[in-house]
Amino acid sequence: MNEGYIPILFMLALATAFCVVVVILSRLVGKRQDSSEKLMAYECGNIPTGNARQRFPIKFYIIAMLFIVFDIEAMFLYPWAVIYKSLKLFGLIEMVLFVGILLIGFIYIWKKGALEWGSRNI
Amino acid sequence: MEQQLFWLWGGIAVISAVMMILKRNPVHSALCLVVVFVSLALLYVLLGAEFLAAVQVIVYAGAIMVLFLFVIMLLNLETEVRSQGLSRVAFKACSLAGTGLLLLLLLGGGAVKALRAMAPEQVSGVPGNTQAVAELLFTKYLLPFEVTSILLLAAIVGALVLAGKRD
Amino acid sequence: MVGTTQYLVLGAVLFCIGVAGVFIRRNAIVVFMCIELMLSAVSLTFIALSRSQGSIDGQIFVFFIMTVAAAEAAVGLAIILSLYRRRQTINVDEFDLLKW
Repeated sequence: MNEGYIPILFMLALATAFCVVVVILSRLVGKRQDSSEKLMAYECGNIPTGNARQRFPIKFYIIAMLFIVFDIEAMFLYPWAVIYKSLKLFGLIEMVLFVGILLIGFIYIWKKGALEWGSRNI
Repeated sequence: MEQQLFWLWGGIAVISAVMMILKRNPVHSALCLVVVFVSLALLYVLLGAEFLAAVQVIVYAGAIMVLFLFVIMLLNLETEVRSQGLSRVAFKACSLAGTGLLLLLLLGGGAVKALRAMAPEQVSGVPGNTQAVAELLFTKYLLPFEVTSILLLAAIVGALVLAGKRD
Repeated sequence: MVGTTQYLVLGAVLFCIGVAGVFIRRNAIVVFMCIELMLSAVSLTFIALSRSQGSIDGQIFVFFIMTVAAAEAAVGLAIILSLYRRRQTINVDEFDLLKW
């Protein structure tokens, strides 16, 4: 096993222990008084309106889908950045090609109006 | 040490995978799948593929599962209605999957033996670091890499056309 | 040192759990998750074999599997959304137009 992971494991254990200890401690030390206002769903201080489980608009899906696609692009950019210097101009050209093709998709969704948050045809 | 870690993470992966197919609430299933993905990432670390482990967490647990949860919330589904005679279906499915597993293990055993005969196992392995992966990805596998961008372009256009249509 | 065989068995077990899930579950999204699980199990097999062969090519394949999984999730979930809009359900038993 690689020794490099020991600090990570240590940090993980520390973080877990901290969370567990704090939760247990607050249960043990503090006293609980439940009122209907305290048990209400927390909506940043506003009085909650309507049911929390309502369907929300399709626009969110489009945004999440875009996030995935550009996440994949970032995944390819990391290893590219590591060896960029040894690839020289060749590396630049291949990545420009890759990003360029994805850019066509980006322009498409832009022109289609999927990025506008107001009410449009999407 | 490595042996114990393998059993720990492999066990977590198998248990959460079973939980995933047994939980009736799709949100719970999705969360179980996140656990499977994270334990698979830890197994990748054990196998010396650190970069892929990071990518697994970023892409699968971070992005794909977010999309799944979004869709579950978009549709706001109630828990699955149990269809009639499910236990019989479940029994059939499990026996089918079990038979498949046996078959896979037998075939896999043969394949591993054949591989060992061809090239003796080098368990010392290769450094699975980012640089080694990158050097291969951007030279030998350059064409697949570029074709990937067209796949992603098709995914963007397809998803937008399918999801954005209003009727 | 964990042998390659152990990883291969784990991959096969996870794959078969995914297959069982596809058969058992009726919710199209969960069926889709099971397919993702099967893809991941194959990725594990690829990485284990790439280590046993002392080459890194298998890891590159996992890259492409992940890309395909992401593209598949984007398009597949869009299909599920539009199916839901048309039929108001995502129970896979209800989609039987192509059955005869």
